Amino acid sequence: MSVTSKIPSGVELRKLLSSRSIERVVILGANGTMGYGSGALFTQAVPHVTFLARSKAKADEGLAEAISQVRSPTVASRVETGDYDSDLDAAVSKADLIFEALTEDFAIKKQMFDRVEKVRRDDSIIATVTSGLSINELCEGRNDSFRRNFLGLHFFNPPNVIVGTELIAGSDTDPALVDFIDAFARLRLGREMIRTSDTPAFAGNRVGFKVLNEAAQLAEQISPLLVDKIVGPYTGRAMTPLATIDLVGWDIHRAIVDNVFEKTDDEAHATLELPAYMAKLMEQGVLGNKTGGGFFKKDGKTRLVLDPATGNYQAEADVKLPKMEYVDDIAHLYGQARYREGMQLFLGAEGDEAELARKVIAGYVSYAFHRVGEATETLDGIDRIMGTGFNWAPPGVLVDTMGARAAVNMIEKAGLPVPDALTEAVKNGREDGFFDAPHINTGKFFVAG
Amino acid sequence: MAATPEVYVLGGYQTDFARNWTKEQKHFSALMRESVLGGLQSCEIAPEEVQSAHVGNFAAELYCMQGHLGAFFTEVDPAFSGLPTSRHEAACASGSIALLAASAEIEAGRYDLQAVVGIEQMKTVSASEGGAFLGTAAWYAEEADGIEFPFPKLFGRLGDEYDARYGLKDEHLAELSKINYANAKLNPNAQTRTWYMNKEHALCRTDDNAAVGGRIRIADCSQVTDGAVCVFLASREYAERYAKGRGLKLSQIPRIKGWGHNTARLRFSDKVAESRGNEFVLPHVRSTVVSAMERAGIADVNGIDGIETHDCFTTSEYMAIDHFGITKPGESWKAIEAGWLEIDGKHPINPSGGLIGAGHPVGATGTRQLLDAYLQVTGQAGAYQVEGAKNFQTLNIGGSGTTSCSFVVGV
Repeated sequence: MSVTSKIPSGVELRKLLSSRSIERVVILGANGTMGYGSGALFTQAVPHVTFLARSKAKADEGLAEAISQVRSPTVASRVETGDYDSDLDAAVSKADLIFEALTEDFAIKKQMFDRVEKVRRDDSIIATVTSGLSINELCEGRNDSFRRNFLGLHFFNPPNVIVGTELIAGSDTDPALVDFIDAFARLRLGREMIRTSDTPAFAGNRVGFKVLNEAAQLAEQISPLLVDKIVGPYTGRAMTPLATIDLVGWDIHRAIVDNVFEKTDDEAHATLELPAYMAKLMEQGVLGNKTGGGFFKKDGKTRLVLDPATGNYQAEADVKLPKMEYVDDIAHLYGQARYREGMQLFLGAEGDEAELARKVIAGYVSYAFHRVGEATETLDGIDRIMGTGFNWAPPGVLVDTMGARAAVNMIEKAGLPVPDALTEAVKNGREDGFFDAPHINTGKFFVAG
Repeated sequence: MAATPEVYVLGGYQTDFARNWTKEQKHFSALMRESVLGGLQSCEIAPEEVQSAHVGNFAAELYCMQGHLGAFFTEVDPAFSGLPTSRHEAACASGSIALLAASAEIEAGRYDLQAVVGIEQMKTVSASEGGAFLGTAAWYAEEADGIEFPFPKLFGRLGDEYDARYGLKDEHLAELSKINYANAKLNPNAQTRTWYMNKEHALCRTDDNAAVGGRIRIADCSQVTDGAVCVFLASREYAERYAKGRGLKLSQIPRIKGWGHNTARLRFSDKVAESRGNEFVLPHVRSTVVSAMERAGIADVNGIDGIETHDCFTTSEYMAIDHFGITKPGESWKAIEAGWLEIDGKHPINPSGGLIGAGHPVGATGTRQLLDAYLQVTGQAGAYQVEGAKNFQTLNIGGSGTTSCSFVVGV
């Protein structure tokens, strides 16, 4: 695995960028969210972008979405649209970069790569935006030039807003190509690039969806409203966990956690099992915001909250929440950028809710630290993708803010495995300095809400 | 006459200008606190060592219902209680005026280590209300009262004046916008780093790029920004100790080699009337730039490796190109067409993205420019680094070219 934990200088990046050029990009699956979102991004930097879909009408819909997403009609001046049957061969044969953004289904992607392999130029780049399928498996059986030029380029949704991007090389990917794409994406697309290994769900979704799923599991014991309150902004995230699952879509959530659950057997395996109530409700068509509701939904101006046991909803105002004054006190401190003091209050807060919240946060820190060496080579990679892909306080930031000893105590009390790096740090008297990305403001993660 | 004592720049910290502190539900004091603590940490300076603090800010009374900003510095750390502090205001040049005051105190031998904070929280009000607040940087009763977004209109008139004297094409202004946005993508603290922009968009004439003041369209404007920047200035004595403690040579610590400061008439029409017959549209801006170069012992712009200039609008950047002497007066377009202004060009301008790309928290802009100059000449500018930069110059303007400040920072 090739990992860059330090960002190369602009001079080095520009040298890499000059090694080849990207003039023509083809987007496969241009009518999907990731397809048109990424397609719009490319039109800022590349003169010719072709949007392809099952039909030209679908590709046109993708173009319209792209224009609306970035609010610029000029996207159209660089885009051609077409369908797979009539236009794929010609477009792919001319393309410098083929960007695959089809539905997250191994067989469908494989079928498309059969077609691409036949008509692409030997030197064209093939990138997949898969959020979790194996890069090596996706190019298995392909010819040498395909495998050498194939990589994962995982944008997060929406790509024009979220800059965190995972770059995943396969075992045969040309290392020089990986460096070039890294430079291209940083300089031309404004991406924060994080190199990850080809492990299930890579780094961001592996860690992020573990926490989201644990929150969904908690919703079997306490109201979703309370779950989102206790693991809310004051714990270092702008959007609360269950609201995030609603936004992502329950079906996407399921695809990611099922994949990780099936392909891994780590120390937190149980937290990755999809709750049974979610599977049951999905059969009834509950998929989150895209179907009008999930954990939460709107009835006019009233926000309704799901009862996972029954599948019924009740008005938010009717859900009785326990008093959690400590949350307000922490928010007050955050309002003045007193993050360390706020975190000390969090660590010392009494009550079942505070205990539960600390368990989730302890799980996040412990799980992330244990993925170092597996999903990314250093903690820096996981930290940066959690900060720039999920907009969550990275685990290293949380440890720095609470202190290593306090973090260890929290993890031990939660009955979770303490990462060696933290045990070692405490032994050596090192309390902070885990977060290693000074270009990222850490205060922005602690929202005073 | 004895040589003027040297003023060294030790570095500092910039908040992410894409942040919306009102949305984060944070008080003005949080912005101050993060920038100062960030600066202390990145420069490895203990709070006890700071001897004085200067705060540059334009209009916290209007945006945040808060004055007495020098006093807020003491809230950051208990060690700051009792410190001499002050606040400086000169519209969008407030940050530079704070820097000038701090550096003058070092030159006078009063203090060895000064903190300078430029700060503005602007997203507390609607765009139109904020536009009216900004109008107080002009002669409000005569140039802004009752006018929606007065400043785009004033800088639209700057473009009109260029057009009348020398000719001006929209495509050249669009190219400036494109470069600033492209550079901003390289800057992790730039406000617009995720925004969509290319030359076609800058030139498009739809509601997505609506006109806001004559020839000025949205793509020509810097944006409403929240942000703060803290930098530390030091005497030679302190800088020597600082360098020694870090295994550096004193010559590796950048200095403020030169500065310029001028104030022209407040009303734009008076400035233009005064400049009739002068080859420069804003002669006071020109003399500010030249003063800074002269004090730095640099003959002309060819001795400057890069510029951070005040592009509150594309027209102000267009003006800066010939006022820096990159081209003859009225020929700024030649530098644009030749590609000289890009990061790898002959005269890079605003590699950070400038005000249009990086953002324009009014009172913080001058300090942000100085910090970027420091980053460039110490090779720490990351993806927007100008190769081999040794001398960088800033230009910070308050009002419609009214208060002008410039620094040359170099090693």
